[in-house]
Amino acid sequence: MKPLLEIKHWLEYLGGATDQRPRGFPRRGGWLLVALWWALLVCLIAAFCGQSSKFIYIDF
Amino acid sequence: MIFNTFSYFLLFLLPAAVGFRLLAPKWRAPLLVVSGASFYLFFSLTAVGGVAGALCLGLFLWEAWFSRLYRPGSRWCLAGIAQALLILFIFKYWNFATGLARGADNPWHWAGAFLPLGISFFTFEFIHYAQDRRQNRAEAGGFWEYFAFILFFPTLVAGPIKRYQDFLPALRRPSTDWATDWERGFTRILSGLVKKFAVADLMTAFTVHLNAADVARAERWVLPLWLVAYAVKIYFDFSGYSDIAIGSARLFGLKVKENFDWPYLRTNIAEFWRHWHMSLTRWLMDYVFIPLGGSRVALPRIYLNIIATMFVSGLWHGAGLNFVVWGLWHGCALGIHRWWAHRPGRAGAVPTVAGRAAGWALTFVTVTLGWAWFTMDISTALLFFRRLILG
Repeated sequence: MKPLLEIKHWLEYLGGATDQRPRGFPRRGGWLLVALWWALLVCLIAAFCGQSSKFIYIDF
Repeated sequence: MIFNTFSYFLLFLLPAAVGFRLLAPKWRAPLLVVSGASFYLFFSLTAVGGVAGALCLGLFLWEAWFSRLYRPGSRWCLAGIAQALLILFIFKYWNFATGLARGADNPWHWAGAFLPLGISFFTFEFIHYAQDRRQNRAEAGGFWEYFAFILFFPTLVAGPIKRYQDFLPALRRPSTDWATDWERGFTRILSGLVKKFAVADLMTAFTVHLNAADVARAERWVLPLWLVAYAVKIYFDFSGYSDIAIGSARLFGLKVKENFDWPYLRTNIAEFWRHWHMSLTRWLMDYVFIPLGGSRVALPRIYLNIIATMFVSGLWHGAGLNFVVWGLWHGCALGIHRWWAHRPGRAGAVPTVAGRAAGWALTFVTVTLGWAWFTMDISTALLFFRRLILG
């Protein structure tokens, strides 16, 4: 169970849902890692954004 | 659209978030009101509702003024709840109700009906404040503070549904840690956009087939796959939306409560609902289930309260019989789970690994089959189940 919880913590940190760094996250060069991670996310957004549809809950 | 547009980020979010942090504290609430009002007008005019939708900004002004009458135990609070429900009924349920009563082609039908932006969500915040003021569970706050609460644009359109008790202290003393807030906030926003674009929207290739014609002629084995795709789509769509809302609020230094916490990994339906659209579940618990008596009544009434609460949840999600059936589907599932969890000899029992695995599978199947009622009208959903079961 513990490895699964660690994975969950990593995913939550990478998704911006928690402020607590997961165990093993590098203490130095944090801003560089953040910049690289943002660049990857922006690339994914750019790659997929052409097909955009409206959010399901907007009309509720 | 809205959250996945440049207009949202460049015209509203960034200027308002920067301004909020730079202005003197006394100007923060008015800034949120002005930015929220501009947001409402802009997106009503360009995306939802048009000029008539934009005029619904008046509802917020009226609510902000009317709320000043609320006192603990006051009947004005009940009047506030009644008017909020009336407004929701007129805009969202009028045609549904008159259609049920007198058929679709009736003289009462409102041909120009439209939904004001975010009406389902802001109505619930209006009701929460009125009821909590009546029961003296919420501080009145100032006019501009309450106005800022109801017009806080990151959560205005589709939640998370906020509580004034959480918002007011944060508004008065927002976080001043720019670096952490902006790093975490932007990470959250980008993650939400990736969820929307790279996962939810991809699923549309499958979910677009959930219509009568395609369901009628599809191979039987593909039907459950389409439904699983919808389960994936709605989770990534709405949790992505919530990520953007929560991340946006973080840029202001305001923390909004979470809306999702890995719901599809839960091992029973009650746990699912405690982790899916959490702000709505909490609202339904506090303003529907508990006022009905909650779990402190005779057993048959408990089941009735559960089903009634999920009936309200279904109706809130949409003015259609399919949404009512979806709510009742979950109400029945929650009732069955309650019976199972409280059956004699069950107290203190710890589920085995196999039991948890079976619980997870059963919960996922129940929720996924339930989405059939959510995404298709009644006749198409019935056709779907007939084809799924009988071929």
